[in-house]
Amino acid sequence: MAGAPLASTSATLNRRAANGNPRVRALLIALTIGFLSIFILAPLVNVFAQAFAKGLDGYLAVFWPPSPPEGATLGVIQQRKLAEAAVQSERTWSAIRLTLAVAAVVVPLNIVFGLAAAWATTKFRFRGRALLVSLIDLPFSVSPVVAGLVFVLLLGRNGVFGDWATHLSWPDPFSLRWVGFDAGFPLDFERDFTGVIFTPLAIVMASIFVTFPFVARSLTPLMESQGTDEELAALSLGASGWRTFWKITAPNVKWALLYGVILCTARAFGEFGAVSVVSGHIDVNDTMPLRIEKLWNEYNNQAAFTVASVLTLLAVFTLVAKTAIEWKTARDHATAEGKQ
Amino acid sequence: MTIEIRNISKSYGGERILRDIDLKINSGELVALLGPSGSGKTTLLRVIAGIEQADEGSGPVLFDDVDVSNVDLGKRRIGFVFQHYALFKHMNVFENIAFGLRAKPRRERPSEAQIREKTQSLLDLIQLGNLSQRYPSQLSGGQRQRVALARALAVEPRVLLLDEPFGALDATVRRELRRWLRRLHDTIHVTTIFVTHDQEEALEVSDRVAVMNAGRIEQYAPPQEVYEKPASPFVFKFLGNYNLFHGRTRGDEPGEALVRPHDIAIARDPNAAGASARPGVVTHIGFGGAVVKIELETEDKTHVDVEVSAPTFRDLNLKRGDKVWFALRNAQEYVPDFVI
Amino acid sequence: MSRHHRVIPGLPLTLGYTLFYLSALVLLPLAALALKAGQMSGPELYRVLTDPVVTASLRLTFAASTIAALVNAVFGLIVAWTLVRYDFPFRRLFDAIIDFPFALPTAVAGLTFANLFLKDGWLGGVGGHITAGINALAHTLGLGAPLPADALDFLTFPYTGQTGGIVVVLIFVGLPFVVRTVQPVLLEWDPEFETAARSLGADSATIFRRVIFPEILPAWVSGVALAFARAVGEYGSVIFIAANIPGRSQIAPLQIVTRLDDFQYAQAAAIGVALLTISLLVLLVINGLESFSRRHERQA
Repeated sequence: MAGAPLASTSATLNRRAANGNPRVRALLIALTIGFLSIFILAPLVNVFAQAFAKGLDGYLAVFWPPSPPEGATLGVIQQRKLAEAAVQSERTWSAIRLTLAVAAVVVPLNIVFGLAAAWATTKFRFRGRALLVSLIDLPFSVSPVVAGLVFVLLLGRNGVFGDWATHLSWPDPFSLRWVGFDAGFPLDFERDFTGVIFTPLAIVMASIFVTFPFVARSLTPLMESQGTDEELAALSLGASGWRTFWKITAPNVKWALLYGVILCTARAFGEFGAVSVVSGHIDVNDTMPLRIEKLWNEYNNQAAFTVASVLTLLAVFTLVAKTAIEWKTARDHATAEGKQ
Repeated sequence: MTIEIRNISKSYGGERILRDIDLKINSGELVALLGPSGSGKTTLLRVIAGIEQADEGSGPVLFDDVDVSNVDLGKRRIGFVFQHYALFKHMNVFENIAFGLRAKPRRERPSEAQIREKTQSLLDLIQLGNLSQRYPSQLSGGQRQRVALARALAVEPRVLLLDEPFGALDATVRRELRRWLRRLHDTIHVTTIFVTHDQEEALEVSDRVAVMNAGRIEQYAPPQEVYEKPASPFVFKFLGNYNLFHGRTRGDEPGEALVRPHDIAIARDPNAAGASARPGVVTHIGFGGAVVKIELETEDKTHVDVEVSAPTFRDLNLKRGDKVWFALRNAQEYVPDFVI
Repeated sequence: MSRHHRVIPGLPLTLGYTLFYLSALVLLPLAALALKAGQMSGPELYRVLTDPVVTASLRLTFAASTIAALVNAVFGLIVAWTLVRYDFPFRRLFDAIIDFPFALPTAVAGLTFANLFLKDGWLGGVGGHITAGINALAHTLGLGAPLPADALDFLTFPYTGQTGGIVVVLIFVGLPFVVRTVQPVLLEWDPEFETAARSLGADSATIFRRVIFPEILPAWVSGVALAFARAVGEYGSVIFIAANIPGRSQIAPLQIVTRLDDFQYAQAAAIGVALLTISLLVLLVINGLESFSRRHERQA
């Protein structure tokens, strides 16, 4: 990371100055623009075009279905349509809630893990360190479907821990209700889940599996290149380990951390294969990507694209944030180099 | 504070970096650890600091006769200045210097007003009072060096340890800063050890020099003694230019004599050169300002480097190809040490 | 009184937590996969993996992934080259959107591609769009409708029941791997080498072939291998665009899902192990290639 951004700018200018044959150049530029337009721009724009196929009203109706006009008497078919729309939008909202809840659990866990793993593998030398680093990267090379499959084989019926896991009872966090002081503790869970697989817990586990390396991976190269001198300096001045971490290490890696968190969040929101397998195709287990598939299968094209457009916006935001962070670190680096 | 280390060894992966080192430093002394790269000088400094641990079976590291081998880095009350300063990038000069004071446990921590006062006085000491709000990236190398020193001094260390303090600076700044360091040491009188590979720096600044080679201390003495009475051929060779003559010792054993170029007398007349003068032909004359370097070739085709002062050279009025007589004035004779 | 304590604190805590988290959430589940597949006898395993439906799905997965990887090999190199070497309008925008396939959820990619290549989609219906355009133009000129409505239907992207659509989405998901591994090497490339070669009389084609290409070859191959590995495991985007007919247009990951839905866990595990083995082999090849090129560099 160090050195690259600034060096590349000046080198790039040189390189652009020395261009070869103008015809070859025009051809290659045309091919690039054509290829990227068909394979990246067209699908991106198409998401929004399809989402707004029925206008802004149609777009919003996916989330907030139209209510019957005041005092109007509606035919049976009309009533059914409205009821159906209400059910559909409630399912979409449930998918959004579940997606947010899963990300809210998965991302913090992976941040803690990523920081711990990066600290252990970059600030120390120990036997097996290289193996540990490759194991942390392992989930990236596992097919999402296999990532889901392993949890079914571990926790499902006939799974390795199946007997225990299928009888495990745990409260549904969304069912926490106020029950009054009569019952002793005023809060209680109204519903319990039984089993692990085909419940949100399995979705959380599968999501952790597929997003596992992001934070650790974005921190490791930077922490490796920064070495341990600043930490040792802080410790020699009498700072505690925690203080050293929070005051010295954390500020030095904050942008890389943010970058890893953004990637991890984007993937947690968008994971399809692994989540699909452990969700058991049950409606209440739908996350946003699974909801998109159901709407598509029900030929509800515009609604599918509307939900998809939300995830696409998230992806666009991810790219903007990534570019901004890269720009920011390159600039920090440039000022650091400036006065040496 | 006195520092005494006894019988310290350190190995990395089977390679012995330090071999049974003993060293005693008096209170208030300024000691240089001098040696080529790989001689173990930085490792020795880090063992004294507590950044590295000596091997099992090593003797103690005593600060004022108290064993600190098992005292943590932060509790040894040392000030360590890293080769590349390890300033905290995201803190300005003031915050860097105040870090150690602010990191103290609440009971020992001075009030914020006291911290400001103390930091300000240190800023004045390093003559950077007007740059307190600058960030490390906005400082020159010499300024960074001084900030690193002030940061280490802020916690009132019992000993100051500097790793190649001037290594990353250009020649002019180096010379200026090492005089400044000497003056600073004369003012604050804290026991100081610094590591360097530059013999001029070590001889000029320190009270005593420990010359290190291959994990051992070859000689530990005041600069003049080290220079005039080198304890081994290695020390002789490391401290400056030399001529090597093979011959026989008085006991008629094969031996070698080492002579500094300025310890060779040169004259046109064999009697004027001194006893046992030998003939040679001038092959090259290099003007270096106050000192002129003359290369001679003897009858048996060995090259001899001679340095004479500019006035002497004027009197001699030498040209290339002139025949001269030279005599060794102050030769150090050593029986070859086949161990190294 | 151990002398071997570490100066920087936190190793036991962070390493312990790392190992625990890694074991519980990654290694243990993967061990379950190995265990389940290991419970099958050799002949049984052989029967599962040689089942015509399974072999067809594996063949399709590899064929589609290979074609997609080859397309990306060519176009990824062109894109990386163009982005680094030439300046053109919106270059920075095009550079930024290369990562889009990394950021976009696969389900959305599948959805939008499936729609694009529908008969009335922007790309699938391109023949119809052109025909309609020509007819409309002729109509305003008073020439009637010279072309029958289905004149250009051969341009319609044949995705239903076919594998073309699968290749298209696999190109999409694999593209950034090739571009993003080749690009840094091209950026680091010192133009002085080229100037030197040119001063020795070499033309552009020779310079590329003899000077630049050998330099980017290791990065290029590992980028293509990464794209291939990603394509082999891809699921979300493919199931939207493929017809998913068993034995004809069902990819291997979908076979796993089908087997799971039928509660044939052991069979699913067997196919899963096959897929995982292939991904790990590709990873091994990439690692070998990287260490080879590092060694090579050190010698040079």
